[in-house]
Amino acid sequence: MSPPPPGKDRLLSLYRKMVLIRRCEEQLAKSHQRGLIHGACHTYVGQEAIAVGVCAHLRTEDAVFSTHRGHGHALAKGVSAEQLIAELYGRATGCSRGRGGSMHLFAPEVGMMGTSGIVGPCILQAAGAGYSFRLLKRDNVGVAFFGDGAVNNGAFHEGLNLASIWKLPAVFVCENNEFATEVPFKYSAGNPTVASRAASYGMAGVDLDGNDVLAIHAAATDAIERARQGGGPTLLECRTYRTRAHAEGMGDFTYRTREEVEAWKPRCPIARLRAHLLGAALASETELANLDAEISAEVEAAHGAAEKASWPDPACAATHVFAGPARPVTTPPTPAGAREISYMQATLEALSFEMKHNPRIFVLGEGIGQRGGNFKTTAGLYDLYGPERLRDTPISERGFVGLGGGAAMTGSRPVIDFMFADFVLDAVGEIINQIAKIQYMSDGRIKMPILLRGCIGIGHSAATHHSGNYYPMYAHFPGLRVVVPSTPYDAKGLLHHALRCDDPVLFLEHRELLSLKGSTPEGDYEIPFGQAAVVREGKDVTVVALALMVQHVLKASATLAAEGISVELIDPRTVAPLDVDTIAQSVRKTGRLLIVDEAFMPFGIGAEIAAQIADRGFDDLDAPVRRLNGVHTPTPYSPTLESAVVPNVEQIAQAIRSLVSE
Amino acid sequence: MAIPITVPRLGWNMEQGIFAGWLKADGAAVRAGESLFTLESEKATQDIEGFDDGVLHIAPDGPRQGDIVPVGAIIGFVLEPGEAIPALTSPAAAPPKKEMLAATERVPATQGPRRTEPASSPRARRTAAKLGVDWRHAKGTGQTGRIRERDVLALTAPAGSTRRIIAERMLASQRSTAPVTLMTTVDATALVKLRKQWKVVSDLIPTFTDLLVKLAASAIEKHPLLNSRWENDRVVASGGVHIGIAVDTEAGLLVPVLRDVSTLSLKDLAAQTRDLIERARQRKLSANEMQGGTFTVTSLGAFGIDAFTPIINYPECAILGIGRIRRCPVVVDDAIVIRDQVTLSLTFDHRIADGAPAARFLQTLSVLIEKAEFV
Repeated sequence: MSPPPPGKDRLLSLYRKMVLIRRCEEQLAKSHQRGLIHGACHTYVGQEAIAVGVCAHLRTEDAVFSTHRGHGHALAKGVSAEQLIAELYGRATGCSRGRGGSMHLFAPEVGMMGTSGIVGPCILQAAGAGYSFRLLKRDNVGVAFFGDGAVNNGAFHEGLNLASIWKLPAVFVCENNEFATEVPFKYSAGNPTVASRAASYGMAGVDLDGNDVLAIHAAATDAIERARQGGGPTLLECRTYRTRAHAEGMGDFTYRTREEVEAWKPRCPIARLRAHLLGAALASETELANLDAEISAEVEAAHGAAEKASWPDPACAATHVFAGPARPVTTPPTPAGAREISYMQATLEALSFEMKHNPRIFVLGEGIGQRGGNFKTTAGLYDLYGPERLRDTPISERGFVGLGGGAAMTGSRPVIDFMFADFVLDAVGEIINQIAKIQYMSDGRIKMPILLRGCIGIGHSAATHHSGNYYPMYAHFPGLRVVVPSTPYDAKGLLHHALRCDDPVLFLEHRELLSLKGSTPEGDYEIPFGQAAVVREGKDVTVVALALMVQHVLKASATLAAEGISVELIDPRTVAPLDVDTIAQSVRKTGRLLIVDEAFMPFGIGAEIAAQIADRGFDDLDAPVRRLNGVHTPTPYSPTLESAVVPNVEQIAQAIRSLVSE
Repeated sequence: MAIPITVPRLGWNMEQGIFAGWLKADGAAVRAGESLFTLESEKATQDIEGFDDGVLHIAPDGPRQGDIVPVGAIIGFVLEPGEAIPALTSPAAAPPKKEMLAATERVPATQGPRRTEPASSPRARRTAAKLGVDWRHAKGTGQTGRIRERDVLALTAPAGSTRRIIAERMLASQRSTAPVTLMTTVDATALVKLRKQWKVVSDLIPTFTDLLVKLAASAIEKHPLLNSRWENDRVVASGGVHIGIAVDTEAGLLVPVLRDVSTLSLKDLAAQTRDLIERARQRKLSANEMQGGTFTVTSLGAFGIDAFTPIINYPECAILGIGRIRRCPVVVDDAIVIRDQVTLSLTFDHRIADGAPAARFLQTLSVLIEKAEFV
């Protein structure tokens, strides 16, 4: 079925958009030379037909994710010239409020969900938007624009495969301009035809002349319609050429020749459509000249307004790292004598409850469907909520984490169950560069409600790829909540809270605690982040511990009580935010602080707590702050080796004795 | 409208480049997209594109080939035909405000039980322990009132290092000598009478201490062992009798030295002593004036003290402590009479002198005092 050719109005509208992009880019190139642009500037000159041809079919609610060369996509999706230019000028009126510049354009109001300085994530995010739209039963599509540089990247492989196996409403638009920055595609690709790769993933692939807006427009009609109808994703390869340097101010003729660039210039997509309009007598020279002049005036006005626009208030430089202030939450006290359930059952109860009450929640992970999760994290839920909400994944961590990020940006609430925290290291770029940063980059206009859960911890000879702790690493980065519960009661309350907050949460469960039983209320309740638990009150020494170490310190404390040493044990429960107040108050009482942490010592939680207490608790200290950590080594397998690298109860007791006698 | 031609930033962090020459002549017609000049950056040499049609005006005082040019500098204009040449000015755009965001994670005041003693730094407490003072008496001058090391030092030595020097010397004396203190009470009635007679004729009369210093010098002449010092495992005799006078000052104990006491008249001795004490209290003594003593006299009589155990002014052999002069009933020839009494406390280094020679010195001195015998 071939769609009807676009009429005059549509063609003029395509022409208009292409000229708008070109004029804006020319203005930006000039402004870069004049010093009005403070950082990078990647122009889209020569590639205008692609953004315009595809976006002509998109509704405001359709979601576009793009790459570092994204000015054209933003304009084609509906960002105004003034918002774009002001962003590059670093002004408060810029589409990202001056937070991003050329490579980080956000305008969720028009479905421009962001451009990225990292090559590849947009593919996963567009697939994630597709997942949201399916789950929420909307006939919208997710569209990713990316260059040929992205197709040799894992995100391309994982994203296309996931989109294909789940038949997601997504369109992947590869703008093959022959160079990944300055490395030729024909050099980098074993298979230099991008479109043909679609077959490897079982999806349609179309090879297009990227400078022919009519061809793109027609192919996009099919692809977007297929997506809306549930027919799954399409890969469009648009062969094109950028006729300006990779970035303004960069040399252009070390990797390609002036002649080659000059040879492409006459193949300008705008000139081509212009010739078509004149040739088919759809518009006159005068009409087009008037249109050109109108757009030039529009861009000039946009430039003038942007140059006059105010600078962002420096006081806003660190706002919107997280979604809004925390909701007030009242937590019920641990009921004495309440029923005892395991840590695992406690989190399953919370997840089950939240899934029942919030249809936007879905779970992604390996074996979390019918199997119910490697650690029974989703046992029984598949039967209740079906495959769309309990989605087994291929072993494709970067793919489904990045996809989860895109889903969270577009209205759903993914729970990523990655079994072992070690596995997700393949996806850390998605977590740190995308998931953690997007609320900030979008000036708080996009939320990122995603839960990333998995097991941590040393024990039972799991060896080094199933034993890592990793929470200090995540806590280092702004934008992430890092939760490390130590009891069934805490795990349940914190998981409820995590599934009701709009921030990305890393929920890390120590494997050796999963069968620990403890009193847990039956109803739902929340424990807010950043509120430590005083697990045990004492007067001689403050011990801070997390996860399994909390249990170890409790045992050591019982021994020490018999020796007359009174231990106050504090479990921060969340590493980010970290409740230093409670620790400081305790140190004010005891004058002594020991941090017991299974994770590594260098640059770890203990170092952070020690530094903060050295500052605010300086006058309270009666002894040096001490740390007891797991040994700084990969985790070995043999039981004798394994137990040699983790603090045990006796070592903890000894460390406390030593500190008390300081 | 004249369009300025500026030096662009090539790459991420260029601040200046080398101007490598114009590609068009002054006055030439130029078109958008044509290269106007060549610029060298650290990374490469690039032809710089113009974005406008017009006539090139090269600033006459603009850069020449090989000149270093800052990014943003205006080096010419593209003019409309016939347009006047504008003055070279820097871009007027206000630069963005650049200041560090105030620390957002300012530490809130900690709740909890209030401390019962003033805040002090561990370093201050360590120093206090070393100096043997109570840091709780120091006045905290830290931003939050915390007692810092400097506050402890101020407590112990308000005028600087005097206290530390005293501490070191006292400790050195205790560590390096074998001190023994002998005490005896002497009849000073004759001395008191003598002073009363002098008082009638002059205000500037010697103090009791002056008199005792003079008599001590006489005794030393007869017992030079008490005037020697211990050096390199042997006793070394001193050349003259130079007596240190212990003076109580605000900064602490100072010991100016009275030279060649044996040769001084009582009048000169009194005048010199008065001068030394006065200048000690004003902190005007030179280091020289506090060195070279061979024997020391210290008096606590003014404070009502009778006997005490003075510490030897190391490396001297002995120090004489003088108590108050008091009127007491004493037995003289089987009768109880009222006499002026003074107790002498002599600490000597047993390494140098044994008990008997020291006692003999004290005996000689006692006789001199009782007779008020000034040669």
